[in-house]
Amino acid sequence: MSDLSAAIEQAFDYRGDVTITTRDGRTIEGYVFDRNAGELRMLPNNGGGAKLKLATSEIAAIAITGRDTAAGKSWEAWVKKYQERKAAGETGIALEPEPLD
Amino acid sequence: MPVPVSQAWTVASYVLRQKLQGRKRYPLVLMLEPLFRCNLACAGCGKIQYPAHVLKMNLSPEDCFRAVDECGAPTVAIPGGEPLMHPQIHEIVAGLVARRKYIYLCTNALLLKEKLHLFTPSKYLSFSVHMDGEREHHDFSVCREGGYQIALEGIRAAIQRGFRVTTNTTLFEGADAKSVRAFFDDMMEVGVEGMMLSPGYAYDKAPDQKSFLGREHTRDLFRKILSNRRPGWRFNMSPLFLEFLMGKQRFECTPWGMPTYNLFGWQKPCYLLQDGYAETFQELMDSTDWDKYGTASGNAKCTNCMVHSGYEATAVDATFSSLRGLWATAKATFSSSYRDAAALEALNRPSPPASSLVQIGASKEEVGA
Repeated sequence: MSDLSAAIEQAFDYRGDVTITTRDGRTIEGYVFDRNAGELRMLPNNGGGAKLKLATSEIAAIAITGRDTAAGKSWEAWVKKYQERKAAGETGIALEPEPLD
Repeated sequence: MPVPVSQAWTVASYVLRQKLQGRKRYPLVLMLEPLFRCNLACAGCGKIQYPAHVLKMNLSPEDCFRAVDECGAPTVAIPGGEPLMHPQIHEIVAGLVARRKYIYLCTNALLLKEKLHLFTPSKYLSFSVHMDGEREHHDFSVCREGGYQIALEGIRAAIQRGFRVTTNTTLFEGADAKSVRAFFDDMMEVGVEGMMLSPGYAYDKAPDQKSFLGREHTRDLFRKILSNRRPGWRFNMSPLFLEFLMGKQRFECTPWGMPTYNLFGWQKPCYLLQDGYAETFQELMDSTDWDKYGTASGNAKCTNCMVHSGYEATAVDATFSSLRGLWATAKATFSSSYRDAAALEALNRPSPPASSLVQIGASKEEVGA
């Protein structure tokens, strides 16, 4: 697997945004939701929900730049948080979804 | 009956039509995810781990109708995310009812009571409320104390207003079989139409990969839960799928049986795995290498999966594939006590608590149904 293919696969598996630099110098930040042999598809984070298709031949570089949205959200982390908050006497303990803005 | 007669007839005639047409692969339930946003933040969930700009997006009603028409399945499940957070969910549901699709709106019910007025009771619409067991189990599983009570109030309000209500329960490592059985009693007493259950699956993108059941453990657990059934329990599922969970049926996965459509398109190959997306349903069916999935394929990601989205369609297909299947289904429907002394003994055997945080009240010893 070439470096670019490996980077594309890593971007596809990542649970956050990535930044793609194209061969003509553009940078696009967004979420990669699909890839195949010849192309990659993503949702740019400023694209109003429009999907973008890029030929892999257009891609010069890919960097993981966004936050991993699952980091720190393991079951063990919840158990630990729960124990700490319970020990502190809290009631109504809950994990809240992160704000979107 | 596991489902109302009109629904069973619709599904049966659809499956028979597919068979008469010689259609080898056909969808049974469309899993329509109109958003990924949720008002819970369950630690084990692999469905909502996206950046904010993705979580803010919604499928439009027109997107949903196009997918439903393209797919043609007689049943549409609407999971998510939390579908009641979709600003046009009532329009989506109304459009699907108009298409005479049987809808399971899968909700955690935190918003059910306040949003009920947006919907009209119909034989086509069921609220399928996510309940992961008795109060403490559920609250701990969804990482929210008080979640069970809110959901219960939503269920009661919906039943009172004449809606069909079912529950869906996902079981993870450490599930307490006795407690699950007590939960079934509770839900029947509350008056839900039927219950659905499934083992959990470790989504690729789930932050928690350790709490999911292996196949043997799944069979042991479900055998304990579903043997020696109480007469009043009703399950809104294929009885052969329940037998599969108990280890009484051997099925292969039907990944195309419950195809998924969401913000990214048609998900390859199934509801649980994300190996890419097709732009149309036909492209999904034609371009997916189906032989790469399911236990027979040797795909490691499928090894421990026994989830309804892969195997219930197989069970339904088995019902209509032979007289033997039809007989097995009839037998499982009308004679469903599943007396099993060894399962009862295993159920009553003391087991260590799964977590020091989840202390379920001491259950009475069970003496069979």
